[in-house]
Amino acid sequence: MGPLIVRRVLVSMPALLGVLFLCFCLLQVVPTDPALLVAGGDAKPEVVEAIRKDMGLDRPMLVQFGDYIFRVAQGDLGRSMISNKSVAEELAETIGPTVELMVGAMVLAVPLGLVLGTLAAVKRGSWVDRAVVALSVAGVSMPVFFVGLLLIQYVGYLWDLLPFTGRTGPVWAGGLPSLILPALTLGSVLIGPIARLTRTAVLEVLGADFVRTARAKGLRESAVIIHHALRNALIPVVTLVGLQAAFLLGGAVVTETMFSWPGVGRLAVGAIVTSDYPTAQGAIMILALAFLVINLIVDVLYVVLDPRVQRA
Amino acid sequence: MTTLSSPPAAMPAALPTTAAPATPEAAAPRRAGLIARLARDRIALCAAVVLAVIVLAALLAPWISPYDPYFTDLGAAMQPPSAAHWFGTDNTGRDMLSRVLYGTRNTLMMGLAGVLFGGVLGAALGIVAAFYKRVDPWIMRVVDILLAFPAILIGLAVAAILGSGLTAVIVALVVSTVPDVARVARGAAVGVMGQEFMEAGRAVGLSNRALIWRYLTLNCVSTIAVFMTLRFGQVILVGSALGFLGMGAQPPEAELGMMASQGRDFLFMAPHIATVPSLAIFAIVLAANLLGDAVRDVLDPRLQQ
Repeated sequence: MGPLIVRRVLVSMPALLGVLFLCFCLLQVVPTDPALLVAGGDAKPEVVEAIRKDMGLDRPMLVQFGDYIFRVAQGDLGRSMISNKSVAEELAETIGPTVELMVGAMVLAVPLGLVLGTLAAVKRGSWVDRAVVALSVAGVSMPVFFVGLLLIQYVGYLWDLLPFTGRTGPVWAGGLPSLILPALTLGSVLIGPIARLTRTAVLEVLGADFVRTARAKGLRESAVIIHHALRNALIPVVTLVGLQAAFLLGGAVVTETMFSWPGVGRLAVGAIVTSDYPTAQGAIMILALAFLVINLIVDVLYVVLDPRVQRA
Repeated sequence: MTTLSSPPAAMPAALPTTAAPATPEAAAPRRAGLIARLARDRIALCAAVVLAVIVLAALLAPWISPYDPYFTDLGAAMQPPSAAHWFGTDNTGRDMLSRVLYGTRNTLMMGLAGVLFGGVLGAALGIVAAFYKRVDPWIMRVVDILLAFPAILIGLAVAAILGSGLTAVIVALVVSTVPDVARVARGAAVGVMGQEFMEAGRAVGLSNRALIWRYLTLNCVSTIAVFMTLRFGQVILVGSALGFLGMGAQPPEAELGMMASQGRDFLFMAPHIATVPSLAIFAIVLAANLLGDAVRDVLDPRLQQ
């Protein structure tokens, strides 16, 4: 297990370097010259040149990239051009709520998707099955913000059941109510695909020999479904969650913006709208890194669920 | 990164490719039956009709719009749907039906441009990677790195560089489509490369260009096309999400995602301003997804999960 994780981390290094390089390039191609920004719009060319030298912007690109990696490794991501706070500090404040939101979404979506998918498979051809299939097709076709708008309008505003703006605090400090609607909105992206895949996977497994054996030896039907069918169906589902991580991250950006959730996604959108490049770069980098980490976790989980992978 | 999330079953690139026909040009008769077979599928037929109506309405927007989509009339602001304004009016009294028609035009154009340009570029990369073994690892490594950026992030990055606008969103959609298509195309092309007719073509002295065009590309086209059809709905979703975030078309221009975002500010007073464009996106994506699924089932059953 241990060496495997180390190997997977090492394998993801090129992707990590690539992400860093693209983020580094982001600041290079941005329309405003950083030296000019520091010097001010009407500075003399000599002054701008001096500042450029001072900031190390006249060095070869590769040297600057090395320097950039070095600084990122030390947690130095520059300062926000709007709030003048260090970007690392801003990210540290916002990453918690984003992780909380994503975990919340998965906690809601994965069990719900599994239950719906299993139900549909077990009651194949019934109205339950048809409803689940229709729901999952509709689910993957809904814009995230539409789900959010509906929840805000009905659950939040008209029925006045749950808060729908901002975050009142961490879950363990009474923040749960404010998390539910955003998490449900984000989770809605996942429920459909998970239910659909679980249905297919369970159907496949239910036809397998070992399930017949389990039944033949007199196991209760619930045990057959939970221990034999569902356990094996989990493998493709975990992969799916990994593949859907991109949608989850993208959805998080939209969800945070809608619900004024103080996360990295909202930080990124706000920074781009205000042309705060260092903050935008830092936020985009963190989100891309988060994506790499999710994929890593999925790989490891995969081994836990399917020991055959390790041997291969 | 994604290369190592190991299970081949759900990964497009590792899927078995379309059974390549014995001769390079043998794919034609199969396609002739496509329309007929799709027409027998009731859901696909409905989806196709809905999509056709939406596309037609978008194309004809300048002629069929009942009002000028930019004409504001503050006296008639935030009216609910009525006989005069079928979809109501927005916060500045503009006719929602006309704006949705124009918005659909922009949204569809954005999605189509993203899928087409991204698809062609990605297909070219994938096919070149499969044909020239030497560049293969390099291309695929770049593709893997690009895959580490979720589409919305690419959108944010592009908007940061180019400034918000439809162009930024289209560039982002193209960039995010390329790596996925490249993987699928390479997967399909590698399968075709192993076929005997490729060797035969080489043996009779065909140039690389002819081999790539007439033998390799033609036989990958259906797999790539199916994948692009399936992607269309997603691309629209990502594009309208970017519009919703304010990275896309800028007001007063109409684009469905952006319109939904504008309506958000008036959600409690006039819910239809946000709901109508959101429903329009939902309808487009749902129809596209259903049709995509049906096309896949007919053309390339093995792409199924």
